[in-house]
Amino acid sequence: MLLAGCSGDSSVAAGTASELRGPPVKGGTLRVGFVGGGAADTLDGAIATNLGDLARAINMYDTLTTHDDDYHVQPMLATSVTPNADASVWTAELRTDVKFCDGRPMTARDVVASIERIIDPTDPKNGAAGLATLAEVVATGEHTVEFRLRSPDSSLDDVLAKYDMTIVPTDFDVANPIGTGPFMLDRFIPAQLTVLKANPYYWGEEGPYLDSVELLNFNDTDALINALLSTQIDVAAQIPAALSEVIASDTRMRVLECQTGVWLPFTMRCDVAPFDDERVRQAFRLAVDRDQMINQVLSGHGRVANDMYAPLDPAYPDFPQRTQDIGQAKRLLAEAGYPDGLAIELVTAPIQAGVVEAAQVFAEQAAQAGITVTINRMDLTSYWAGYLEYSFSQSFWYTRNFLPQANNGSMPDSPFNETHWDDEEFIQLVEQARATTDEPIRNQLIQDAQQIMYDRGSLIIWGFADQLDAYQAYVGGLVPNATGLPLSGFQLHRVWIGELV
Amino acid sequence: MIGRTIGKRLAVSVVILFVVSMLIFFATLLLPGDPAQAILGQQATPERIAAIHEQMNLDEPAWKRYLLWLAGIVHGDFGVSVATAQPVAELIGERVGASLVLMVSAALIAVPAGILIGIYSALRRGRPADSAITGISLVLAALPEFVVGIALVTLFSTTVFQVLPAVTMQPPGTKVWDFPEQLVLPVAVLVLVVTPYIARMMRATMLEVLDSGYVEMARLKGVPERQVILRHALPHAIGPVAQVIAIQLAWMAGGVVVVEFLFRYPGLGQALIDAVKYRDVMVVVAITLIIATVYIAVNLIADIIGIMANPKLRTGGGE
Amino acid sequence: MSDHQEPSSSSVLVEDARPRRRYGTLARFWSQRQAKVGVVLTVIVLLFAIFGPLLVPWATGFTATEFVGRPFQPDGLFGTDNLGRDIWSRFLAGGLRLIVYAVLATALGLVLGLGLGMLAAYLGGRLDSLIMRGNDVLLAIPQLVVALLAVTVLGPKGWVLVTVIGITHAPRIARVVRSATLDVINEDYIRVAQMYAMPRRRILMREVMPNITGPVAVEAGLRLTYSIGAIASLSFLGLGIQPPAADWGLMINENRIALSLQPAGVLLPVTAIAVLTIGTNLIADAIAQASANPNVGGR
Repeated sequence: MLLAGCSGDSSVAAGTASELRGPPVKGGTLRVGFVGGGAADTLDGAIATNLGDLARAINMYDTLTTHDDDYHVQPMLATSVTPNADASVWTAELRTDVKFCDGRPMTARDVVASIERIIDPTDPKNGAAGLATLAEVVATGEHTVEFRLRSPDSSLDDVLAKYDMTIVPTDFDVANPIGTGPFMLDRFIPAQLTVLKANPYYWGEEGPYLDSVELLNFNDTDALINALLSTQIDVAAQIPAALSEVIASDTRMRVLECQTGVWLPFTMRCDVAPFDDERVRQAFRLAVDRDQMINQVLSGHGRVANDMYAPLDPAYPDFPQRTQDIGQAKRLLAEAGYPDGLAIELVTAPIQAGVVEAAQVFAEQAAQAGITVTINRMDLTSYWAGYLEYSFSQSFWYTRNFLPQANNGSMPDSPFNETHWDDEEFIQLVEQARATTDEPIRNQLIQDAQQIMYDRGSLIIWGFADQLDAYQAYVGGLVPNATGLPLSGFQLHRVWIGELV
Repeated sequence: MIGRTIGKRLAVSVVILFVVSMLIFFATLLLPGDPAQAILGQQATPERIAAIHEQMNLDEPAWKRYLLWLAGIVHGDFGVSVATAQPVAELIGERVGASLVLMVSAALIAVPAGILIGIYSALRRGRPADSAITGISLVLAALPEFVVGIALVTLFSTTVFQVLPAVTMQPPGTKVWDFPEQLVLPVAVLVLVVTPYIARMMRATMLEVLDSGYVEMARLKGVPERQVILRHALPHAIGPVAQVIAIQLAWMAGGVVVVEFLFRYPGLGQALIDAVKYRDVMVVVAITLIIATVYIAVNLIADIIGIMANPKLRTGGGE
Repeated sequence: MSDHQEPSSSSVLVEDARPRRRYGTLARFWSQRQAKVGVVLTVIVLLFAIFGPLLVPWATGFTATEFVGRPFQPDGLFGTDNLGRDIWSRFLAGGLRLIVYAVLATALGLVLGLGLGMLAAYLGGRLDSLIMRGNDVLLAIPQLVVALLAVTVLGPKGWVLVTVIGITHAPRIARVVRSATLDVINEDYIRVAQMYAMPRRRILMREVMPNITGPVAVEAGLRLTYSIGAIASLSFLGLGIQPPAADWGLMINENRIALSLQPAGVLLPVTAIAVLTIGTNLIADAIAQASANPNVGGR
């Protein structure tokens, strides 16, 4: 398994003029800049979509479990979340000392209401798909909640750790958003700014150190970088890889570089020609020069991948690294009935930095194998309007472990099964793994499923992108984090502003 | 007579605006995807799309939505932005202000500058100064705005000197005009793009007037040259120049978009691009109508000045 | 992007348009210094644009899409672009499409504008008003809105760009043509032709057209300048020519983020576009001078 090894401060060796030392300092306002957000920005953590939504969700609300910096599941609002023998019933024991930011204590009733709000059939939230197997959620005590499932799910604790599984009071109203997070809302103007202030009732052991946080929306990377360099913001979430060296060479700045499980795959729909033939899929995978991809698209800030996702999952297998093999790709294409190569349209959109760029690099690389790629670059709304229908396209996923990822994108009933992947053997292995609580056995099942992905899967997973953020040297508490979310997973309660010595 | 002509023009203008609104409204409906899709992105499940549709009346037939919108306009209500559920007027109000700041500042500099340069050039006819001005204005008039903009950014923000900000920033709770130094470059671009046209027109009409009989007469009568220019030549030259100025102002209403994009300036242009992105029909129509109204109004004023300045046309036989 | 318009009473441009012998105009055109400068500038850029794509692998060792290294590194003559491609090869390959599109858009605008303008002038009355009011509607819609909507609905394809720019030019050209035609129509020889019951189409083609070439040529030169600017602007906004094509406007868009780091990726194409538009504008102005049409205040 790959550790979420991270070169946090090493990449900024150039700028060591002054250092931040000592224990965290209390007080101050942190100005966080990021690109994105728009009129549809929301305060409801359960429907968070863009970066600003995520930052608000993570800092205003908490979840029952959470992912730590190495992407291991840890307890949060629950002291424990444990399955029965076949993982069909899970019991969450809640902390008894948690209060909402209006001072009311959090109880099992709030948790039940929150989960029911997420799976509300008339208005399902982001997390509904992950809870598709949930039959009912019941408060069995003042601080005990039982999740009763229709079919077993050995990864429910992982599912509940996602940032959008927010726990809110029974009478939650987005107009007056109450949560248990380290910060609470002060001011909110969609597409412009969000001001959060420290939650006086915060239950956590650490932080928040800051009095308040300003989340500032920028229209574009240029403006973001300029604001950072002129100290109009303290931290910039997500910076372009190509510019990270320049920023790091400024002695006033630090760059946080984190290895993550974030991937930007090419998606091949395996129920339509030509990708219904696994030889074509393998040929496309062999046409990719992965090292070059990492270099051109990510400026070297990433790791080569092997057509499998969930690199931080303990069960991630160590298969031989696939490399570009134009000869073999051509042979496979010829066997599949394309001796003269084939022409294909690749649908792309700026869904994430690097996606459109990856399309261009792929088009160039595939040409060597006789694959003529026509790039159809759409605007975002057009892209989402036809999402899940494109025969050859691209996608973007944050770090996930194998089972939650498979649930989200690789099963017939997954909400985002982009490639219409429907492999009998794979489905069986995943379902078995879901029902297995014994970890070594489950890991073996997952490895077998990954083998299928590797041998005949429908995704070209060429790399895992590093997460790059930049911040002023006087900002402390930003540590390597593998979630793929910016700024140490947006856990701003750990962040503080100090004096440089 | 003039009153009737103007009245007729006004009526035509209203019809034109009506047709423009209709064209843009229905063209926006042709865009693939809808606001619900745009808001939800990957999370666009059928249930959530349906919920938003219902909230925003998106399931009503298009013609009904258009009529509802039209009824609102008559009462000065620009409708509600589907992407934000915010009144359109509120949404674009500040943006209009920001764009206006740019345009008005540019006009306040470009108009006097253009007139003065034009007069100077005309008085120096054929001399090196005149040739230089004519040449430079011809070159500037050829350049697309973004070319001028990038040249200025390279000169003053990045490569040569680093004295002015290359992009606009608007920290929360502030207005763009609270930071005058970041208005300098965008305004300079507009000025550089607009001034040459005014200067060239001023020079041409000034030459024409200076060659005319009555200026000759005034000179022969021994009127001082300064007074000849101020009292006799200038008033006659100002009519046609006013028209060109009007045209340049109208152009700025549309051309400011590229300048805003270049400098990341939070004005109408940015709002328009966002609105198309979010399939926000009401906002697209509103912004288009604002620009169209400026265009038509300015042209109307130009026409009126033209009619007033030309005695032959005062009788209304304007064709 | 330029939203170009003529003075609404186009008299400024065409009041002196009268039948003229063309060879005289040509000599007058060439006798001006600005004509020569304009032609030289235009030809220089044209040479780059036309022969650049052929030279690319020979001159640089790389095709316009091939990758040579990491983004924004000082490799090669002018460094690498946002995808680590050689900026010099991208530049050499990036002009032709822009120029071809601009010429096509201008041609489309001219054809539409000539047709509408001559018809309006010749038919007069209600049809004239109808055509001119239609013109006003088109003129009142900002070019960017048309482009934004068309590109989003139809996709950023070459023909969409050409059509959008062509159509937005048409009403402006139509105005000029209409006034020029009106001047010509009242000449005696047209009246004679009408008396001889010459077919309308023939009168327009044979008698009117040759006599409005002056203003139309000026207009063509101006529109070409604006077409180049408009297409480059659209690509610069990300609405025009799309990656991975090599294109000057697109290059500016792609490499802008590293302007301070790698200025060549922006400055090479910007300079080329500037030289080209200056060249064509000088030519247009020289034509105007030659046909005694001082072109001022136009857009």
